[in-house]
Amino acid sequence: MNLKTSFPKGVQKDSLLFSLPYDLTTNGERVDGHICITDSIIDVYLEGRVIKSYPLDGFSEFKCEKNYGSSAFTAVKKSGEPVCICVFRQQEFLRYAELAKLLDFYAREGKLITETKADEPTCEKCGIPLDGNAECPFCAKKSKLFLKLIKRVKPYKKYFIIAVLCTIFEQFVWIVIPNISRLIIDDYVVPKNDDWQGLILHCIALVGLVAFTCIPNHLNMKCSFKVALNMGKDLREDVFAKSESLSMTAVTKKTAGELIRRVSGDAAKLEDFVTTNGKDLIVDMISLVVLIAIICVMNFKLAMLVLLPIPIVFLLVDKLFHVMAKRYTRVWRNMTEHDSTLHDILNGIRVVKSYGTEAKEIARYTGCSLKAAKASMRAEIAWYLTIPISELIMTVGNFLVLYFGGNMIIDGGLKLGELIQFTTYVSMLYDPIRRAIHIPKQLADAAVSASKVFEVLEDANGISEDEHPVELDIRGDIEFKNVYFGYREYDPVLKDISLKINKGEMVGIVGHSGVGKSTLINLILRLYDVTSGEILIDGVDIRRLSQKSLRSQIGVVLQETFLFDGSVLENICYAKPGATFDEVIRAAKIANAHEFITKLPDGYNTRVGNKGYQLSGGERQRVAIARAILHNPKIIILDEATASLDTETEKQIQEALGRLTKGRTTIAIAHRLSTLSGADRLIVLDKGRLAEFDTHDNLMRNKGVYYKLVMAQRQTTKMKKA
Amino acid sequence: MSDIIENYEADKLTLLDCKKLEFKKEESGYMTLFYDEKIYHKVNLTRLQPFYEKDKFVSVHIEDEENQFVEIGVIKDVNELSDGQKKLVKGFLEYKYYMPEITKIYSVKENMRGSLFVKADTTAGEKTICIRDWYRNFKLIGGKYLYVCDADGNKYFCDDVEAKLDRKSIAAMEMFT
Repeated sequence: MNLKTSFPKGVQKDSLLFSLPYDLTTNGERVDGHICITDSIIDVYLEGRVIKSYPLDGFSEFKCEKNYGSSAFTAVKKSGEPVCICVFRQQEFLRYAELAKLLDFYAREGKLITETKADEPTCEKCGIPLDGNAECPFCAKKSKLFLKLIKRVKPYKKYFIIAVLCTIFEQFVWIVIPNISRLIIDDYVVPKNDDWQGLILHCIALVGLVAFTCIPNHLNMKCSFKVALNMGKDLREDVFAKSESLSMTAVTKKTAGELIRRVSGDAAKLEDFVTTNGKDLIVDMISLVVLIAIICVMNFKLAMLVLLPIPIVFLLVDKLFHVMAKRYTRVWRNMTEHDSTLHDILNGIRVVKSYGTEAKEIARYTGCSLKAAKASMRAEIAWYLTIPISELIMTVGNFLVLYFGGNMIIDGGLKLGELIQFTTYVSMLYDPIRRAIHIPKQLADAAVSASKVFEVLEDANGISEDEHPVELDIRGDIEFKNVYFGYREYDPVLKDISLKINKGEMVGIVGHSGVGKSTLINLILRLYDVTSGEILIDGVDIRRLSQKSLRSQIGVVLQETFLFDGSVLENICYAKPGATFDEVIRAAKIANAHEFITKLPDGYNTRVGNKGYQLSGGERQRVAIARAILHNPKIIILDEATASLDTETEKQIQEALGRLTKGRTTIAIAHRLSTLSGADRLIVLDKGRLAEFDTHDNLMRNKGVYYKLVMAQRQTTKMKKA
Repeated sequence: MSDIIENYEADKLTLLDCKKLEFKKEESGYMTLFYDEKIYHKVNLTRLQPFYEKDKFVSVHIEDEENQFVEIGVIKDVNELSDGQKKLVKGFLEYKYYMPEITKIYSVKENMRGSLFVKADTTAGEKTICIRDWYRNFKLIGGKYLYVCDADGNKYFCDDVEAKLDRKSIAAMEMFT
């Protein structure tokens, strides 16, 4: 990343290590300023003059803070005094964030890194942030979108070619038929020829040809659907697979309704587009060229009368594409909003019912539904207003042909059969043109869906698998080495975490809310990748482990247990699909779940309902523990597993958890510190850093952060009791 | 409810007396507040309703040694402050919520990949605003507040499109909101 992008006038560029512009004051006024850094000084320039200078080694911390509409490059002096060095608009944020990272490292380690390995954050061409994309979404060409779609036909090219050939053959037959009709009219009907044998032969040829087209027609349809349906299936599967493999950062950017729409709705629309248009588009183009050539050869003057209005129609079509694209984008937006609202309301149905807000939610849904319907209606109305106009322009030529052709027959320059053949070809010519008129509507609709589908498929923010992933039989040693992590790279949640958890050890994580406890376990699960440093399991960096191997050996029990809509048995078996019923019962017994399952009317076949709502919180939790036991993990993560349960249920679950964690490396987060009484050691996090890591007794003796937490909690408990 | 008030005073909103508030801009660029014989350093101000009430309900807060949020109180109306104090507070809010206002929209174009280009006049001059994920970052809030966030994260607004934008501007943006 270039950290010398702009310099104040008259400054010697060579002596500067970093030089970035800033454009705001802390009063919100626009200015022209620069921050110039040498190996010893930070100079703040305003309108070309130095207004402040700071010694580079006079700071203990550097930060880049994002505000609502601006950002600030700040630091803390060694004396503890905070300083706001400069403020700027957001386009400079990523560069200042990188600068702050380098200078912060200097403040901590005393080593000044001047060349950063970070990627250039913006597109070289337009200067817009790439945001993890390999290709700039602003500079990418629209045609590439359809090329990508065409490439997806490749696995089915054999069927595609058969379909195209069959259609061309059909078109050829339909071109030959008017020729036979002409022969019948001009050679037999008009001259009243009594050569019945010839007439019958021509008629048989006519009927035979029509009947024969059934075969290529059937083949054509069969192959066309095979291509389109398979392509649609591939797209749906790919979008779904990609959605599943997206990093949590990318997933949280999209609502469930939006992802569902992309997996099903958009992929289906593309499938439909290929079925109705993909192949026909090629065939129509060929037909158009062949038919134009035939009518020009037959009668050039008449052909010109037909062809002249066509460019006007195509001009209209081109203009229409942009209008329709906008309208269909709006339809897409409203439909997505509609789906998300529906998903949101149905998911929160319990809350809706408990607050009696059904009428309010119905009104909310109706509003969304109405908006979507209105947008669709506006798009369709705009479209169907233009159809009669284009139809009129196009068919003007037909009337002219009839008038001038009729005159030619009277003058003897043209035979009746020839005119009928000519007008038949003209009607055939109008078919592909009519379809071409509909193309902008379909193309616009498909382009919107294609852009949404490829947006997911090309998302670069996934957790990538190592080129040669290691399949490890995990023993259970976990080590954090200088780990830094932030959901936004420039804003670390965890800083410089180094610790070692031994195999079979039970470790608790404690700290204030938002200190990074859940983040720490998300990193072990590799739901996110560390910003810097490394996490080792049995000495192997988890980024080198295959994700399947890692996650299949880690069991997780969360506060909010998610059960899929299936039976109790299916939910317990989720982690081990091939488990025998004996194993399931054993797991349920260890989890203290067997008893309540037995009392359920359908036993292990009882359906748990959507998200397991048929069961109580404690029951759901025990099913989740049984699932984790069956999974037989080497490492167990408990995230507030007993937080929302009553004392009696908690006791039962603690008992179950005790059995589950025996001999396994266990990491547990609990707000109630008493829950962690069984922990061998405790990780105490404070302000994103590792404050303490020791046994409960030693931590209490040291009277540090943990001691304060325990005391504060005791105080609260006393207050509640009082 | 009364227990909660008694024990925690959780619902108590501390409205600050505008006559007693004395903000000072420090050399460091941060603000210091003198209030009720107490001094608060590195004071931060937050608009509680940034879309609708820019000068009303402004939270005044600091971070304690534990980096925990501590609210000193809420200024109900910044316009009740003395002229000097008002200028200081409004200046700080102007910087924190730096957001040019859109005064005219010439055209809105989409590149069919979820990106939008809005050519507009703003209080910071004429510019083409590039918007990514436009269905999220170019929207009407409450039917009349236009919220725009560009690819860099810069924000733009128009607090009443019907009253402040001309017909052509509304027609240009209508398709995308």
